[in-house]
Amino acid sequence: MTTGDPLPGTQALPPAAASQETEGAPDGEWLRVHPASPFVRGWVALAAILFFFGRDLFERTLQGQPVFEDGFARRAPWLLGGGALVLAVAVLGFVLTWYFTKYQVSGGYVRVNTGLLFRQHRQARLDRVQAIDIVQPLLARIFGLAELKFEVADAGESAMRLAYLRIGDARQLRATILAGASGAAASPGTAPAAGVDAEAFAGPGGTSAAAYFGPRVPEAPEFPVLSVPPSRLIGSLLLSEQSFFIVVGGFASVLLSALTDNRAFYFYLVPAALGLAAGYWNFFNKGYNFTAAVSPDGIRLRYGLLDTQAQTLPPGRIQAVKIAQPPLWRPFGWYRMQVNAAGYGTSGNAVEGNTRTILLPVGKLGDVMAMLSLVLPDPGTEKPAAVFAAGLSGRDSDGGFVTTPRRARLLAPLAWRRNGFAATDTALLIRSGRWWRELVLVPHQRTQSLALHQGPLARRFRVADLVLHTTAGPVAPRLTQAGLDEARQLFDEQSARARLARKRQTTEQWLLQVVPAVEPAPVPAPPAPGAPLAGAQPSGTPAIEARTHYQQEGQQHG
Amino acid sequence: MHTEAIDPPGIAWQRVSSKYVTVRLVEWALANLVTVLVLSAPLVFVLLGWWRWPPLWVAVTVPAATLLVALWRLVLIPRQVRAIGYAERDDDLLVRSGIFFQRTMAVPYGRMQYVDIAVGPVERGLGLCTVKLHTASPGTHARIPGLPAAEGARLREQLAARGEARLAGL
Repeated sequence: MTTGDPLPGTQALPPAAASQETEGAPDGEWLRVHPASPFVRGWVALAAILFFFGRDLFERTLQGQPVFEDGFARRAPWLLGGGALVLAVAVLGFVLTWYFTKYQVSGGYVRVNTGLLFRQHRQARLDRVQAIDIVQPLLARIFGLAELKFEVADAGESAMRLAYLRIGDARQLRATILAGASGAAASPGTAPAAGVDAEAFAGPGGTSAAAYFGPRVPEAPEFPVLSVPPSRLIGSLLLSEQSFFIVVGGFASVLLSALTDNRAFYFYLVPAALGLAAGYWNFFNKGYNFTAAVSPDGIRLRYGLLDTQAQTLPPGRIQAVKIAQPPLWRPFGWYRMQVNAAGYGTSGNAVEGNTRTILLPVGKLGDVMAMLSLVLPDPGTEKPAAVFAAGLSGRDSDGGFVTTPRRARLLAPLAWRRNGFAATDTALLIRSGRWWRELVLVPHQRTQSLALHQGPLARRFRVADLVLHTTAGPVAPRLTQAGLDEARQLFDEQSARARLARKRQTTEQWLLQVVPAVEPAPVPAPPAPGAPLAGAQPSGTPAIEARTHYQQEGQQHG
Repeated sequence: MHTEAIDPPGIAWQRVSSKYVTVRLVEWALANLVTVLVLSAPLVFVLLGWWRWPPLWVAVTVPAATLLVALWRLVLIPRQVRAIGYAERDDDLLVRSGIFFQRTMAVPYGRMQYVDIAVGPVERGLGLCTVKLHTASPGTHARIPGLPAAEGARLREQLAARGEARLAGL
């Protein structure tokens, strides 16, 4: 959108500025995380200590040694004293860490101060918040606490964490931050995040976090879109790629041990099986009860059996989407969706990064379409269902895709009829793979840079690869073996399209761009998103319903 | 070769300084000569009769093959340097490189997060520098080596100014 559009949001700016002024006093109230959090955090350390002692005892009893060595009684007071000292120091450390951890949301910034000896002050602009998670490890869940984790684009280090808050406070804070991030707070007129009025912003509440944030930004309403039944999750795990390799590997080792008469193979299988079970358990634990909901401040993903996590992913922050279908899933029509979001790819350990980038662990075509209508509210084409379906399962020129030219079929004997691209007004679709089917979507305004690659063999066949660069993550958009002329033309057109899309997007506050596209706007807007999808996908209706709610919200406040 | 390049047609490429060949030569010498020397050690030992194990033909073939590959790359260096080019368009910077494995990249000005100038010891001696562009994507490995220092500084200022004017969020 351009600044010239007759948007309620732009007109409503003065009150927002005023509200920010009243709120934005630099000495805005500093709050601490929940007092119990040091102990919830420290339980891992405690568990580790217990584990070491316990293992020692266990091994001793196994070896038939006395549980306590001779002369233990003499040293016992020293040991106990030392242990108590260590414990006291640890507890003191945790308590001090808690004491010095403070946070504040004011003036369009969120600030977190941590550290005792090495103090760290971090602040992030609310409108740069890319995504926000509420994480509840099992113990925190028992105590009704939650960790708030948010990704910020302009901080060098990606995630900022607040552990732990009461779950209600965490939700409130999330709503506040997201309202700031989406632009809802800055423009009450447009804001579907209902009830954000300047009045409520005026005065700071009481001292507790709930009172502080309570009256200000009520949580945005959300509407469920889809959920993954446990049976399908289990099925998808059993039929995943790794299961296939495990079965093959298992057969191979059994065969080998039978052929070579070497029983030792079985012993190696036991720890391997244990490791695999742990891996599967991890997947199951993370993917259990996966639900997706849409709310005005973003897509909510909730999952987890013991540790639960609620991610909020503003649709405007999604950099690229990949829809994949391994061959074993094809009979069931299942797909997996992953996203690149700024900060997700680089954060924490690999496993965590992996789970967080999953938009849909396993879903049917309808679920995929529903998700796509959230991720890409404006598909930019007349018949999105047909185009996306062609991207998922079509080949040759179905749905307007341009594939690898016939002359290069030797380079990809199976996949040449699938490898291809299609460009809609809002996104570039890249599809590939005959067996491992993949469709990658990159919204035009999210393209960072792009490159053409060509090796000697590709030159021989007059084809070239086009690589789109997005933020770090599981999706690496690469169009392989496109005809040279098509690739060159796409390179030019794509640069132009990305440029145009960027010009249209002038603000960081994504809601201001999303809403005009959703409302039956005064601007000659593209056809109402979601609606064209409706005919093709019966199970996508929740999304459509959600979207109409979305519109009503917008109109009520607009 | 250049007739079938993957570049968009009609671009006036700015080429990098021919002195950059020297930088590449030094890099080449450091990397390849050391490798070849290390790999020829067994040959010397075998000839001196200290070692028995690698048969003579292996001891000869390995360093010889490495040397050949290294020489081949040496021959390519001037052409590779000539293949590096950049062009400032209205909205993006084009960077190309490579002769066998060609790459043409477009980096929109609005996407540049920051621009670095790096100067190595050899480059400094020759008055050259390397300009590196960073976007939010780790995939953007856009670097223009072998620029004269003044041109590098100009380019950086130019890119920074244009980036400022067209800055977009993520």
